[in-house]
Amino acid sequence: MDSLILLKEKLPEMLAEIAAKFTLIGPKEETGFTQFQELDDPSEINLDYLLSRVPPKSLVFQQTETLFTFTKGKEIKVETPKVDSGKRIVFGIRPCDARGYDLLNPVFEGRKEGDYQDLFYVLKRNRSTLIGLSCNEPAVNCFCTSFDDSPASTKHLDLLFTDLGDKFYIDVITKKGEELIENLSKMFSKASEEDLKARNKVEKTSISAITRKMNTEGVTKKLGGMFQHEYWGQVAMRCIGCGICTYLCPTCHCFDIQDESTLKQGGRIRVWDSCMNPEYTHHASGHNPRPSRMNRVRNRVYHKFNFFPRNDGVFGCTGCGRCIDYCPVNIDIINIINDVEEMK
Amino acid sequence: MADNRNLINAAKEIVSREDVKYIIGYKRGTYGFQIMPAFAYNSKDVEGFIFSPLCAKNLTVYPMLEEKLPLKRGEEEDKRKVGIVVKGCDSRAIAQIIQEKGLKREDVVLIGIPCRGVIDSKKLEKMFPKQTELADLEEDEEGNYIITTNKTHKVPKTELISDVCRSCEYPNPVIYDVLIGEKIEDFKIENFERVENLENKSLEERWKYWENHFEKCIRCYACREACPLCYCKECMVDLLEPQWVRRSVDLSENTAWNVMRAFHLAGRCISCGECERACPVNIPLMELNKFIEKEVKEMFDYTSGIDTEEKPLLGMFKPDDPEDFVL
Repeated sequence: MDSLILLKEKLPEMLAEIAAKFTLIGPKEETGFTQFQELDDPSEINLDYLLSRVPPKSLVFQQTETLFTFTKGKEIKVETPKVDSGKRIVFGIRPCDARGYDLLNPVFEGRKEGDYQDLFYVLKRNRSTLIGLSCNEPAVNCFCTSFDDSPASTKHLDLLFTDLGDKFYIDVITKKGEELIENLSKMFSKASEEDLKARNKVEKTSISAITRKMNTEGVTKKLGGMFQHEYWGQVAMRCIGCGICTYLCPTCHCFDIQDESTLKQGGRIRVWDSCMNPEYTHHASGHNPRPSRMNRVRNRVYHKFNFFPRNDGVFGCTGCGRCIDYCPVNIDIINIINDVEEMK
Repeated sequence: MADNRNLINAAKEIVSREDVKYIIGYKRGTYGFQIMPAFAYNSKDVEGFIFSPLCAKNLTVYPMLEEKLPLKRGEEEDKRKVGIVVKGCDSRAIAQIIQEKGLKREDVVLIGIPCRGVIDSKKLEKMFPKQTELADLEEDEEGNYIITTNKTHKVPKTELISDVCRSCEYPNPVIYDVLIGEKIEDFKIENFERVENLENKSLEERWKYWENHFEKCIRCYACREACPLCYCKECMVDLLEPQWVRRSVDLSENTAWNVMRAFHLAGRCISCGECERACPVNIPLMELNKFIEKEVKEMFDYTSGIDTEEKPLLGMFKPDDPEDFVL
């Protein structure tokens, strides 16, 4: 489908229609930060944001997921929770966060025929249509361009909106995106050559506003020979093991499974876990194969820049910069990888 | 304000001592206004040490975080001292830990720096949202911050100072081995205003306020890790049998965690504000801590972390302790 134009004044109308027909999810500001939430009232949407604090991975890989519930006693009943299968429209997701979804896919959907599929993820992912919003003004620690991506990348989305001042330029990318457009009233017009030029100019300006750069050339191989390097101990000295980097990462996907019950009933739940916690690798025997923060800090870097590329052929990092922004002790993944590059 | 040269010279002297393992101080971070904790093992490492109102992090968390791995055969434990750069509140953390027998006074060498308050990096980032290039911030004599990016800006201190510093009663380190710079006269801006504002609200309003914050908690426990007084070998939320707090992240369990942590810091919190600073979802944790601090002060006339010889509040009894809250 050709690219489209939506006048900004028509946006509330479009969002209202989406909210009426489907489930609308978008960025909403509360207590000083933005997060993706279901919006009953589309006017609550906040598009004047850079990144949601918690990445929207939480929409497809929930922090707490009930796998099944059970009752105890003579009449035991085990029930799996009902899954809502209606269409879910995620509006305003950033291209880097959408890329995060693509990086999670092989983990939860499997890499080849016959691999285990995590239905909790797959169903949520499949019912979601992603409407991206280009970043006109990237943040301090944005570095998506280091991964051949762009603040207006169309690679991982169904539709992409780019703010051109009084209107949005819409890239219609996938069949899913096309279907959504066809489902809505005729409020869009065809984009002109001029519009395309304006859109590309916004993208170019935005790319040049990204000042931080991670040098990733050959880093996977280099890391392969650096596992025992003293550098990891040096970085880890200042790590306090808080785990913010993993909780706010759009590609971290580790979880813990627990049974939680009262006397009569309970459930099996899955919650986000973090490799920054010592407990994460604590064996029942009492042994811990990653006994110190050095092992844990190193693991995070290796997972993103060595294990991920070896398993899936891509870096497990989107360049969103959250782990840098919110680290209380300035552990900076861009610097770490650039340091590694410079080491002999 | 402390002179960086004096700080570096003092640190050099200390780091060269045979009984000192390393010194923990501050150095420039990787971008913008960032400061990072720095570990100096020799006098060359010390060269990068700085101190400014940007140095908010309470470094006294590190001696308690140090992991003692099993020793190899024939290996001896490194019992040398750790040097730490401390502000007023940071020194109180050490005093409190010593009081609780978590550390011995001789385990640490303290380089004390009188502090006029540190900035709130969230406010600073709002003011300079695009600051990737390294930038600097100093305080002048008239209570302004002089901020150097590619231009020089003058901003009144009250616009950027951390909330927790506004009610600071101990700008000068309470214990130290070396003091850098002149002691500061009291500069407190407010007492318990932030807590009182909340106290004056109705129970329903307060409950709603906290619900609104706690439901956003992601239970990363960064508050705990950043806190120098949260040094239990095993935190009760990590226990599985019995499991006191469930792993499910919901309002009920999140509330249990946050309230429980505040209670565990009763008579122990030294108001450095690290928990609030670290919290990735803006929970105003210091309002809980300050509330308890106020209660403790009013009821028991006790202030944490000012005397290493004092007994911990919850570890002592005085015949005239108030008891009207006992049912």
